[in-house]
Amino acid sequence: MSSQSKPMISRRQFFFIIVQTEIGVGVLSMPYDLHGIAKQDGWISLLITAFSLLIILFLLWMLAKRHPSLNFFQILERVFSKWPGKFIIVAYIIYFTSVSVLIVLLFGRMLSLWVLPSTPFWVLSILMVSVCLYLTASGLKIIARLYTSLSLFLFILIFLMVFCFSELEILYILPVAQSGWINIVKGANEGLLSYFGFIVTLVIYTYVEGKPKDKFKTVFWAHCFVTCFYLFVVLVSFTFFSTKEIALVQEPVLYMLKSFQFPIIARIDLFFLSIWVVSVATSFATYLFMTGMGLQTVFQKQSSILVTLAAISIFIISIFFGFESERLELLGNVVVFLGYAFGIFIPIFTLCISALRFKAKKEGGKQSE
Amino acid sequence: MGFFKKFLVGKSEQGNKQEKAFEHELPQKPHYAQPQQMSSSAQLSENIDYLFSQCKQTGDLKVRALDDGRAALVFYETLVDHEKMQKKIFAPIEMGHVGRIPDLPNSRQMTNLDEAIKKLLSGHVLYFDEDSTRITYFDVTASFNRSVEEPVNEKVVRGSHEGFVENIKTNVNLIRKRIEDKSLVVKYFKVGKKTNTNIAIVYMNGIADPEIVRKIEQRITDISVDMVQSPGFIEEFIEDSTSSPFPQMLNTERPDRVSANIMEGRIAVMAEGSPTSLIAPSTFFMFYQSPDDYNMRWYTGTFIRLIRLTSFLIAIGLPAFYIAVVSFHFEVIPDDLIVPVKSSINDIAYPPLVEALVMVIIIELIREAGIRLPSPVGQTIGIVGGLVIGDAVVRAGLISNLMIIVVALTAIASFVVPSNELSTTLRLLTFPLIFLAGTLGFVGIMFGLLFIAIHLTKLESFGVPYFAPIAPLSLNDLKDTFVRIPLYKMNKRPKDAHPTKQLAMEESREWKKNEQSK
Repeated sequence: MSSQSKPMISRRQFFFIIVQTEIGVGVLSMPYDLHGIAKQDGWISLLITAFSLLIILFLLWMLAKRHPSLNFFQILERVFSKWPGKFIIVAYIIYFTSVSVLIVLLFGRMLSLWVLPSTPFWVLSILMVSVCLYLTASGLKIIARLYTSLSLFLFILIFLMVFCFSELEILYILPVAQSGWINIVKGANEGLLSYFGFIVTLVIYTYVEGKPKDKFKTVFWAHCFVTCFYLFVVLVSFTFFSTKEIALVQEPVLYMLKSFQFPIIARIDLFFLSIWVVSVATSFATYLFMTGMGLQTVFQKQSSILVTLAAISIFIISIFFGFESERLELLGNVVVFLGYAFGIFIPIFTLCISALRFKAKKEGGKQSE
Repeated sequence: MGFFKKFLVGKSEQGNKQEKAFEHELPQKPHYAQPQQMSSSAQLSENIDYLFSQCKQTGDLKVRALDDGRAALVFYETLVDHEKMQKKIFAPIEMGHVGRIPDLPNSRQMTNLDEAIKKLLSGHVLYFDEDSTRITYFDVTASFNRSVEEPVNEKVVRGSHEGFVENIKTNVNLIRKRIEDKSLVVKYFKVGKKTNTNIAIVYMNGIADPEIVRKIEQRITDISVDMVQSPGFIEEFIEDSTSSPFPQMLNTERPDRVSANIMEGRIAVMAEGSPTSLIAPSTFFMFYQSPDDYNMRWYTGTFIRLIRLTSFLIAIGLPAFYIAVVSFHFEVIPDDLIVPVKSSINDIAYPPLVEALVMVIIIELIREAGIRLPSPVGQTIGIVGGLVIGDAVVRAGLISNLMIIVVALTAIASFVVPSNELSTTLRLLTFPLIFLAGTLGFVGIMFGLLFIAIHLTKLESFGVPYFAPIAPLSLNDLKDTFVRIPLYKMNKRPKDAHPTKQLAMEESREWKKNEQSK
């Protein structure tokens, strides 16, 4: 793998890839989920999640920095040697696939609840998978370019929520820390689901231009941006609905926007939802891309057939799984659990092994290229 | 003759080999210019017989015997200008002997008969004399040119009213007059094995990216067809992605537009016999710029440009949006409007999807009928189609009032684009979006638009991203995309064409500082 043929992306594009991957399907239900455990202190839980993730992101960066010319899957192969490495990559592929399936299912459920009650799920699933496959097959550079320009939509989302400012009631989040610190820390677990895209920083790290330090700065600011965005969403929902109300509304942001009407247009929630579709598609496309990348590393082949196969299997699994609440919740829990394993423990474990194996020759990664 | 046959076959094999070699490296000379080896004989009659047999005894090939049959002029009477022939050949030797013809100032010589046929076909007259192998030839081409007029489909309010014509030399002249610089380069190519069409590429050396120039040259020399009629043919042979609905080269008939683009580091491709020139590499937003923008105050220029870009969204999205609203998201309509909208669509028998498709197709019919007919009849069609059908169709209760408004607005919006190619693309893209909106509402539209956005981001024109400066984002180039800031602030060329010289101007309003400091 020569560094010449690699598709390089700029740090600004890296920033937007992180942002677009992290902000996704979770943004609508996150306030509700946080509130379920930490009550009105959910925003503190969110901050705790964000802060602890920052440490993890730092560790991921350490790992990536040790092998600057390899992508994450190649690092795995190198650190754990060939066959065990391949085994772990396959595990990652399964993890990414399950996250993708979860995204499609949550997306399908949300749409069928809000706008398209009688549309069969496979139609939505096939649309999502095919559009994202088209994007993913075009390569990282195109993905990066598209995400950068699509980020305009995030500002439209914020802008739509600004309309509610006149109705906010700060008193609703008081008293602070009433639900007890144990619940607040437990709530941090709920916030994690919305951040799961962070693994992308490690996977595409090697394709970003610039010095390691600058790259970490980009990761840091992207993380801050996402946290601010989430915090904004959470605070707006928490202050718009009272503590009792919010327990009844699963998608507080949409219900909030639904109550507003303008002279030319009513139901801004439908517009919010339409833009949210794009955010979901970007997250999904990144997972699909990472799955494809993993498959390419395993089979040592650069071909879009592998990504297509991954997309088709995601589509088939999602149809057979269906989105009944209970099964979906089960899948959600499994994915959160896997997220701890694959997003946090395995990378840190890899970092330790890498530190032990390559202690003596620090430049090992570079020399082998 | 057997010898000749063998000889020619051998030659053509060699030619094939050379053609293969050209695939790997750019030839110094395009392969059609390889000289063939039939040299002329000292016998006048042999030469003339050879010419006639090669030209298949065509009726308009004339021989004029001079000096009691010891010399002859050969020419296509349909290609030469007899007055020019008179002036160049007969007037100077009026008093002297025919034998002085080869010494005339305008003459050129060669000895290759096959080359001579090419000259003959491009309107030269050949002179042969007995006992000599040399062929003397004179350029006496007759050309019948349209005068330089304003192009009908690219009118401007202010600015130059000149437009290209069908003659390539006139066209290059129009550009050279606008750019008086020694680095303006014109390169000629002959394309089309039978038509032998003259193609020119024009660019600024030192501004245009040599890599892109090389790419265009390579792709033009690779064209191997019998007929090349117009830039439309060339476009399909050299563009990056033929399966995309979006035009990847800008078509224009305006010399000022071409020269402005050349100065931005782009390359113009022109062809003999067509007033349209192609500009490459192109970006999506170039199709929304018009020379008029730069002849207005910049506020107005910006305003008009924003209107054009809004028209893009209207043209591809409005019918889809309307269908999604009336068939899926009726609640989007505010309370006060619900009654009028509902009463308009209530009695219509067809679903909105069918209504929209019927109306959009009717508009396309009227448009196509209007273009092909002579202009007075075309207007009648417009009135009959637009007013009569539009009115009657509503009264008959087939189509709702609102749908007529929506479709009419869409049609108008699609004509706002200054480029005909992009305008047709937009009208074509309306259909998939209408279907998506009719089946999935807003979600369908969103996926449709996302697909188009991905496609635009993916598309490249000669290795240059098509959707620049949006993707990849280049903040500096946005100043001539959505807005048109004052010209003195556009001191850098847009990055998308990879100009080798970025700075386009230095301080042009220095006088203001000087005056203020006094």
